[in-house]
Amino acid sequence: MRLPRLKSALPKHLSRLKALSLFATLDAKGLRIVDGLLHERDYLEGEVIFDEGEVGEALYIVYQGKVLICRQGQPDSGRVTEIDAGGFFGELALLDQLPRALQARAASACRLGVLFRADLQNLLETDARTASRIALQLARHLGRRLRAARTTTVEELDLCL
Amino acid sequence: MSVSRASTASGPVVWAGILATTCLLLFLLQKVLWLAVPFLFALILYYFLFAPMQWLMYRGLSREQAASAAILAFLLVTAAYLALLLPWMASHLAGWQESVVRYLHGGQALLQRSLHGLERAYGVLADARLAEIADAKIADFTDHAGQYVEPVLTSTLAWAPSLLLTPFVAFFLLRDGGRFQHMLGRAVPNAFFEKTLYLLHEMDRTTRAYFQGLLRLTFLDTVTLALGLWLLGLPSPIALGLVCAVLAWLPFIGSLLGGLLVVLVAATDFPEAPQMAYAAVGLFLLVRLLDDFVYLPLTIGRSLHMHPLITVLMIFVGGAVAGIPGLMLVMPLLGVVRVVGETLGKIVTDARLMARFRHGRRLRRLRADIDLQS
Repeated sequence: MRLPRLKSALPKHLSRLKALSLFATLDAKGLRIVDGLLHERDYLEGEVIFDEGEVGEALYIVYQGKVLICRQGQPDSGRVTEIDAGGFFGELALLDQLPRALQARAASACRLGVLFRADLQNLLETDARTASRIALQLARHLGRRLRAARTTTVEELDLCL
Repeated sequence: MSVSRASTASGPVVWAGILATTCLLLFLLQKVLWLAVPFLFALILYYFLFAPMQWLMYRGLSREQAASAAILAFLLVTAAYLALLLPWMASHLAGWQESVVRYLHGGQALLQRSLHGLERAYGVLADARLAEIADAKIADFTDHAGQYVEPVLTSTLAWAPSLLLTPFVAFFLLRDGGRFQHMLGRAVPNAFFEKTLYLLHEMDRTTRAYFQGLLRLTFLDTVTLALGLWLLGLPSPIALGLVCAVLAWLPFIGSLLGGLLVVLVAATDFPEAPQMAYAAVGLFLLVRLLDDFVYLPLTIGRSLHMHPLITVLMIFVGGAVAGIPGLMLVMPLLGVVRVVGETLGKIVTDARLMARFRHGRRLRRLRADIDLQS
């Protein structure tokens, strides 16, 4: 009889990262490395996270609360979507330095994790295995967005920001 | 509707502020040099040990463990190296003393021959008794050498203990550098967060680029000098080139010492061919020109994204404001101050960022007041 392989339980903060699709394929070591790179920020309802046209430097992960993605200065009429806890946005900033396509605002008081492009680039040079797993998940995520684009509007495609 | 933004290029006011701040910092650093120099060495050690520390971290060690292991390994290697080197140095000390005396006599003989030759060629110099005066000055310097050497030795001994801070500071930079960055990030309002983190990354990149540029410059200097000395037929061209290139880390003064060393070797090993010493002087002048006007702007200047003219001018300004330490510190300091100044300039002049900052502050004030008003 084969004994079931015991998995060591991850600490709570690493389990939270593991639950995110972007980091789902990372092992405990990779999660610890990413955890050391992430910054935590608290935003109040209505506070602007980034503006349309601003050069993107980072990807944002929603730990708690909700984030509204909308056209610049139009939180009601220009609303595109809302990102709940567990989701992420601003991912194109990890790949290029183009301006943000839409504005992001806190729809409720929220806590976000922030991953900087420079940190991911540094990780690519120093721990390519962990970085490539993140990059693969990011590519899958963008692929899903592209497939969905066939059945959705241009604004929703812009969610890639 | 997109938000209009100010131009990202730094204006003359920002640049004037950057240059003035660099000069002020140089002046202040000169006053706490005992702390600034070990810190500078610690920074070099930090960039040297950062990659091995990361390697250890990616193999499962915590940051604390990896930093401790990296510093410990460095100290052990240094101790082992010194344990091997010191007995070897002690056994060769007498020979080195003889060599130093021999090379100094060689240099003195060259000077005498040159001055006598000039006196024979130009009567005015013979009337001025140039060779005799130079002889007297050298004899006076030799008799009172202790007076000149003693303060140098005393200040070196006074400085030595503060250098022990270097591995200590480097360890804390390795262990807490990331934590410090996170702490600094938390202290910054949300509106400026991305820009501030970008600033920290740029500062890190700038200092790293400076030290990498310095190593490239040393390599270029070594190769050029070694090639020239080999063509002239001088002994140990690579070792001499390397010593001169490392001495050149001290701008101008280091180059002078390096040049003197090469001339002494040429004059002593080829006493009957003074043209060798003159050729060595010519080579050294050529390399200095190449170094100051081509290599330096191309390596360090380029790594800091600085205009070559500003690089050269600031080296002169650094020397004028803070002497030899100023020459050494001006470039890395200017690089860091430039990044801070340009980023602060962008933040302060970005009306939208300032408006978002005020909006965030208003929201926080409202939230703090909300139950008090009800």
